[in-house]
Amino acid sequence: MGATAIATALFLSGESTARDGYPIESAEIATMTQTEAVDGQELFETSCSTCHGVDGRGTDNGPSLEGVGEASAHFQLRTGRMPLANSGQAISKDPAFSDEQIEALVEYVGSFGDGPAIPEVDLADANLADGQALFIENCAACHGATGAGGAVGNEALAPSLSAGSEVEIAEAMITGPGQMPQFDFTDAQVNDIVNFVVYLREEPRPGGADIGGIGPVPEGFVAWLVGLGSLLLISRFIGSKRQSDTEDAA
Amino acid sequence: MRPVRWVYASFVVSMLGSLGLVVYYLIGESAQVEGILLGLALGGMGVGVIGWATRLMDVPTVVEEHESLESDDSAVAQTEDMVGQDAVTRRTMLLRLATGATATLGAALAIPALSLGPRPGQSLEETKWTPGARIVDRFGSPQRPDDIPLDGIKTVFPSGFEGEADSQTVVIKIEPELLDLPEGREEWAPEGCVAFSKICTHAGCPVGLYRAEAKQLLCPCHQSTFDVTTGCTPVFGPAARALPQLPMEVDEAGFLVALSDFQEPVGPSFWNMETE
Amino acid sequence: MLRWIDERLGVAHWARKGLRKVFPDHWSFLLGEIALFCFIILVLTGTYLTLFYRPDAAPVIYDGPYEPLRGREMSAAFESVLRLSFEVRAGLVMRQIHHWAALVFVAAIVAHMVRVFFTGAFRKPREINWMVGVTLLVLAIGMGFTGYSLPDDLLSGTGLRIAYSAVISIPFVGPYLAFLVFGGEFPTEGIISRLFVLHVMLLPAVIIGLIGAHLGILWRQKHTQFAGKGRTERNVVGKSFWPQQFFKSFGLMLLTGAALALLGGLVQINAVWSYGPFDASAVSAPSQPDWYVGWLEGAIRLFPAFEPTIFGVTIPSMFIPAVVIPGIGFTVLALWPFIEQRVTKDRVMHNILDNPRDRPARSAIGVGGILYVTLLTIAGGNDVLALTFNVPIEAMVWFLRIGLFVIPVIGGFITYKVCKELQSSRARPSRRNKGTRLRRNTEGGFEEVPSDSQS
Repeated sequence: MGATAIATALFLSGESTARDGYPIESAEIATMTQTEAVDGQELFETSCSTCHGVDGRGTDNGPSLEGVGEASAHFQLRTGRMPLANSGQAISKDPAFSDEQIEALVEYVGSFGDGPAIPEVDLADANLADGQALFIENCAACHGATGAGGAVGNEALAPSLSAGSEVEIAEAMITGPGQMPQFDFTDAQVNDIVNFVVYLREEPRPGGADIGGIGPVPEGFVAWLVGLGSLLLISRFIGSKRQSDTEDAA
Repeated sequence: MRPVRWVYASFVVSMLGSLGLVVYYLIGESAQVEGILLGLALGGMGVGVIGWATRLMDVPTVVEEHESLESDDSAVAQTEDMVGQDAVTRRTMLLRLATGATATLGAALAIPALSLGPRPGQSLEETKWTPGARIVDRFGSPQRPDDIPLDGIKTVFPSGFEGEADSQTVVIKIEPELLDLPEGREEWAPEGCVAFSKICTHAGCPVGLYRAEAKQLLCPCHQSTFDVTTGCTPVFGPAARALPQLPMEVDEAGFLVALSDFQEPVGPSFWNMETE
Repeated sequence: MLRWIDERLGVAHWARKGLRKVFPDHWSFLLGEIALFCFIILVLTGTYLTLFYRPDAAPVIYDGPYEPLRGREMSAAFESVLRLSFEVRAGLVMRQIHHWAALVFVAAIVAHMVRVFFTGAFRKPREINWMVGVTLLVLAIGMGFTGYSLPDDLLSGTGLRIAYSAVISIPFVGPYLAFLVFGGEFPTEGIISRLFVLHVMLLPAVIIGLIGAHLGILWRQKHTQFAGKGRTERNVVGKSFWPQQFFKSFGLMLLTGAALALLGGLVQINAVWSYGPFDASAVSAPSQPDWYVGWLEGAIRLFPAFEPTIFGVTIPSMFIPAVVIPGIGFTVLALWPFIEQRVTKDRVMHNILDNPRDRPARSAIGVGGILYVTLLTIAGGNDVLALTFNVPIEAMVWFLRIGLFVIPVIGGFITYKVCKELQSSRARPSRRNKGTRLRRNTEGGFEEVPSDSQS
């Protein structure tokens, strides 16, 4: 109750960083409820219901959360995608809530219907080659063969896979956040893909500097700027620059 | 002489680089070290040679006069006379026959090129999809509508032809009420599952990018965008033709099967393709 | 030793003539040489690669050290490239030097061609050599395309698919031609070995012959030179071939090799293991060809969805950007000396080069052309740029579609004005116009006086 009042006051006062009607600044919430036991429902009503509806059934501003499952809520909150900072694609940033608050919200949202639970990722028996094959087939078209990310049109971006915990990667595949489709993988396949994504981060680069890992575009730049550029400079040193530099004809 | 020392030194550097490369080749594996050593070997010598040429050679500028390039008229006339001798040029009938024989010989020698490949025949108009073919994933597992998650996408093939390039198909499940397929396709999408050829109708790349919220397929090669809800009609980019839709139904065992082959050619357009 | 050879071949007199031949000294005349040296390095490293590469599409199971692909089925060609990269000593650095050399080779050809264009070195009597040069450019691009398709990886295989579709798009003959060239419906097993023959034997033979012709014609006609003291249409002022020019060129060749060796060892290129073997139903993004095919990729991306059916013949939307426009473009480029001749009515021999500012119209057209091709190349990487600069792809496409026509025109116009301006400036005055300078007058204002006046 107190939280609601303070939140509303901050919202109305304009002191907060509310933009486009989105919820209040994260830091405020974290400090507010530190000393109290976290009530998931209450937290949801203050922080999420503006867009997702008091009952989680959605509004004009945000989709219904029915059946999204704990996995989805956990993913969105852990990666800081929710609460949305501004309109447009939800991007990864610092989480707005503390661990206890996230736990409470996840439990509450998970109670909306029958969605996927937080997956258990176990890389012990993962097969790297299977992971590579699955990754190329399903993930590379958006995220790139090296996981560097890509623009997928309509202002959407498939993010780079260099950050994110193993659980978060698994959750993304299972819940299909935003424009990402949902995938139907077995647990073994999920482990294989997560294992491969982790491998991509530390993959050795035997050929030298990895100029982005996205192929011919940066390679072309380097060829012109470094390759031809250095040779042009050398040529200027070797040859003469103006007619007057060479001596007069005898 | 100060300016000269670096020229001598660079040859020495080059030799060190070359020797280093020989040694390193036997003991090491790093491409970076190999590249640097080779760079020193070549670069040292290059710097030395250029330094020699620019700093240590006292070569004067030379002027070289030259005569006109073209030969004088009498030389040209004599050559023309030589080439155009009566023995050759007056025999017009023979010249014509010789030309004809050369041309036909050229055609005869060129004709084996037709063995380089088969005739297209119907292969661009058909795929391996047949009526009743089970829809399977890459590993051969048949698919039920439930195996496709809502807002999910899967690459599938006809049973027995897993991995077959011309038959590659994507199955997408969306809410049935969002579908606005062209007339006559009402029975093609059981439980909101729609199937389309994965081969882009522009340049043939697999259309692997699915924007789940927008319900649009994007081809990563040239960014052709297809709207799934209206039957993958192109909405952006250079593709001009919708992705052909595979008619599907659910058989008695509950698996997805094809009703028939695609009703128009898959892949990039060609000059004499039949479209409905 | 010369005597020994001369007794058998009678070359001493001829050799002396050659060694004494004069070449002018300007640095921009070295650009063609850079291209030549890149080609030599390509042949040397390429020969090494052919000793390890298997041009074979037959499937094998990978059993080598690169873990993510172990147990995978792949073509023997791809497997041989993995083996060369991971199991052959210095194999990877050789492969990378070869690929970097290819990129710099075409860049050097373009730079050289730009120099020749803007200085009017293609004018009579050098029209033939210009056409030889344009042909070499096209062949170099062809070499690059066939070369990077040999590893049979996912990225280059996607490029082959697009090439196949471009051939199919040709009205009347497209499907037949594609089936003949590739050996059937895409993907075919035969294309890898055919690309190998093109890349290793047929195209290099033609290129080496044409390079020989290019240099031979240059030797015979003598190199052009910039205007200057003592230089006329009937002489060449410079240094003799031996020793100075030869040493400089030889040194430049070594330094070109050094630059490519450093790139080949220090900067990773075409890491085919990341893409994995080619799979006709998979694709990775972003997908681009090597830079020298980027203009073609951009043209294909920008062209709108225009696919009319005329008298029952469908004109696929790929046909115009992939076949017609490049065909027209290269034809205009090759015939440029004759086009310019027709407009300027200039049929005189030229051995003295133009200063680009003295030919504002040609320079303007040249800049416009360069901008056009550059914009197309940028369009080829529009998704990468969209990602890097956080701009929507659709906005980039529209900007480039319009910019493709507007920017070259503006650029050409600005070039024209700049040329005119430079012609009358003091910095590098052309012979006609010595320029003006400003002088403070007694009222405190400024007035223009001829620049060689004394007060």
